[in-house]
Amino acid sequence: MRDLRGPGTVWLVALAIIAAAFPAASQQVPHRGGAVTIALYQEPELLNPYLATQTASSEVIILTVEGLVAVNDKGEYYPQLAAELPTGANGGVSPDGKTITYRLRPGLTWADGRPLTCDDVKFTWEAIVTPKSGAVATSGFDQIQAVDCPTPQTAVVRYKDYYAPFLSRFRWILPRHATGDPVGMTRWEYNRKPLGSGPFKIAEWASADHITLVRNEHYRVKEQPYLDRVIIRIVPSREVGKQLLRTGDVDIVWDLVESDVPELRGVSGVRISSPPGPDAERLVLNLADPALDGPPAEAVKQHPHPVLGDPRVREAIELGINKREITSKLLYGLATIGTNELHIGWARCATPPSSYNPAKARRLLEEAGWVSGSDGVRVAKGARYAKDGARLRLKIQTTTGNKLREQAEQLLIEYMRAIGIEFYIENVPSPVLFGSWSSGAFRKHGRFDVLMYTTNPDVDPHSQVEGYFASWNMPTADNGGTGYNYARYQNPQFDADIKRAGSVPDLTARRVAYCDAMKQLVQDRPHIYLYDRARLHAYRDRLAGWAGTPWENMAWNAQGWWVGR
Amino acid sequence: MSRYLLRRLMQSGPLLVLISVAVFVLINIVPGGPTAAYENNPRLTSQDLARIEHELGLDQPIHVRYLHWLGALLRGDWGYSLVSRRPVLTEIGERLPNTIYLLGVTFLVTMALAIPAGMLSAVRQYSLFDHATTTLAFMGQSVPIFWFGLVLIIVFHVTLRNPLTGTPLLPGGGMYTLGAPFSVGDRIVHLLLPVAMLTLATAAQYVRYMRASMLEVIHEDYIRTARAKGAADRRVIWTHAFKNAALPLVTIVALDLPTLFSGALFTETIFSWPGMGRLFFDSALRFDYALLMGIIIVNAALIIFSNLAADLVYGALDPRIRYV
Repeated sequence: MRDLRGPGTVWLVALAIIAAAFPAASQQVPHRGGAVTIALYQEPELLNPYLATQTASSEVIILTVEGLVAVNDKGEYYPQLAAELPTGANGGVSPDGKTITYRLRPGLTWADGRPLTCDDVKFTWEAIVTPKSGAVATSGFDQIQAVDCPTPQTAVVRYKDYYAPFLSRFRWILPRHATGDPVGMTRWEYNRKPLGSGPFKIAEWASADHITLVRNEHYRVKEQPYLDRVIIRIVPSREVGKQLLRTGDVDIVWDLVESDVPELRGVSGVRISSPPGPDAERLVLNLADPALDGPPAEAVKQHPHPVLGDPRVREAIELGINKREITSKLLYGLATIGTNELHIGWARCATPPSSYNPAKARRLLEEAGWVSGSDGVRVAKGARYAKDGARLRLKIQTTTGNKLREQAEQLLIEYMRAIGIEFYIENVPSPVLFGSWSSGAFRKHGRFDVLMYTTNPDVDPHSQVEGYFASWNMPTADNGGTGYNYARYQNPQFDADIKRAGSVPDLTARRVAYCDAMKQLVQDRPHIYLYDRARLHAYRDRLAGWAGTPWENMAWNAQGWWVGR
Repeated sequence: MSRYLLRRLMQSGPLLVLISVAVFVLINIVPGGPTAAYENNPRLTSQDLARIEHELGLDQPIHVRYLHWLGALLRGDWGYSLVSRRPVLTEIGERLPNTIYLLGVTFLVTMALAIPAGMLSAVRQYSLFDHATTTLAFMGQSVPIFWFGLVLIIVFHVTLRNPLTGTPLLPGGGMYTLGAPFSVGDRIVHLLLPVAMLTLATAAQYVRYMRASMLEVIHEDYIRTARAKGAADRRVIWTHAFKNAALPLVTIVALDLPTLFSGALFTETIFSWPGMGRLFFDSALRFDYALLMGIIIVNAALIIFSNLAADLVYGALDPRIRYV
């Protein structure tokens, strides 16, 4: 035993440590093989990217279908099937911005080995714009005049007019040879078993149980994907998914909410992915008289909301809300304080969060002609639009069955009571809140005071920012209830900014225009942004290569995923 | 008898139509609709939504849509799911075998347990066995079934481990191990917990019926007569008593048979079982009118016919009952 204490022992021990460290080091290098199981608590409806509407569907689609251009985890475009992003400098965008030329990567193939060419790009456009194809989102594609194929590797897309979000189109390319007649798109075999060019291909789909994807042997990066298989396990609820993650039966649980995180934080081997996302929970304030049925812009001017029509009241409401307390108390610090519609992404416009200042809020309300009443609720005395004696009372509505929102409402009621505003709750099921004009939904028809829900801009924010705030987008009987300017907000300066943002091809110029528009919004407060949510998923640490993104589905980089031995 | 059967069958037709009208109206007056889920999708413009509603026929008045649906059904066309766009019968056909498999096994286990237990409990009234059985049955009926299912998972899937491999003792969900080759053992292991959960509730109910009706029968005069003439105990119980005591149970079992189609929502949800209960629930949440109507109509038809079957079987078993 004594011999072991010699200097040689030190070297032996050192060697042993190095040797022990080696397997760990070799695990840092991606290697092929293995499988990853993902728990989805919703079954995809179908897997045709132009028919599917639910996120659960695109979570699977992204493993197998690719597009010309995709978006990375920073919200920036990158070429996927295209060799490079079309810009004015490389001749991809014509001077008038109407003609976009995509050069495809050389030697592209579908998962069945057949070549992927410009003809498939052309077919994708044809299929979507074919009347009665059933394609769900056609916007942008209906602005295209023609797709030309001068060579199999060159796709020239000619728009009728300049179309600002052109880079976000052709996110998914359909194979002409493995689909069918566009008129019967909803009956395509493809819808259950899409053929793509991505890292994996669909092998089997057992209804309500699982979907198995296997490696695409024709994937264009030789050593990728690393995984042999990705299994989508369809579970009945998040709770079941979380349980399966704890026991190691699944490797990834999709789409958690903030309250799921504390219980998973302590579990060994489990990691939480929480990149901040574009989803913003907000209060939508009705600036029009809620007694009117879908009033157009001129009518809103003549009949503003008796309470919310006054910008001082809107400012008081925002100053009275302790947003920091909401994020820390209800969201476990996983959300950031809301500021404006474009708080993230390439068009990001940083504006400071509102301060919590109940004293100033009370002052503003006094100024606006709302004086303290006998029971603490203010009453009108010389208010701008309300009759004297009217109580400062507002209805707040959100979706039923959402605990987080119900708790947030309780806090809001307290905050408002502290400054003399009475909020009362009348929650409805989400299909009722988000119903269509024809179904008589009160949100569309403008019969509400305050709504609370989450919505988010797309990678290209134009349709969201224009749709929610441009004066021409108020849903009315004349336009059949199109548009989603539910606040019935109108501001000529904002309208001009947003028109400018939608008419120049240069991304920098657009960003400036959007930021000008955001400054108008922050000042006028048609929406009050409460908090911005992170995209939450949990995964086991045997999975390597994960990179959380709020902009695409979680498996956006699954070709680079691998598992430890 | 055949006239009675004919009359009942002829009544079923209008009854089914009435049910379908009522259901169609009800699910359509619920606010919201199949496109409600699209409303918050920033990629969809209002024009897109209007076009989708038009393509799905949702912009037509309700009576037109009903007649359209009924006409298609009479031609044998059940329509297409508004969500998956697949034929309604394909959707049902994929789930139905799973539900029949789960509930069929449960049914057999329940019968094998409940009938002997109920009989023995009645024959040995106030014995220790009787007390134990009635207490258990009472518990089985009182315990919330979803809670019992969760307890089963915690005990057999989370807490208890296989001593050899360290893996959970029993699987906590699914019909089979994903990716593993087919094996009967694997299937049986996956059945244990959901069947236990379902059996507890149904067996408890059947035990109570069986015991009550057996108690009633063994105090009848003809049982005393049978005993007086010296018939063996076994013969008295099985030949004289059981046949008569089983009559009410036949009705109850017949009325329960449609659940083989409609599925068991709680059990399927807790144990990730891809069955009809979840299909129905999901299609209701997604406002999938076509699929909902399909499931409800088949279910209504099964209930009507199992009622008829219960009446006919009862008549066949009990000579005192005659239908004209």
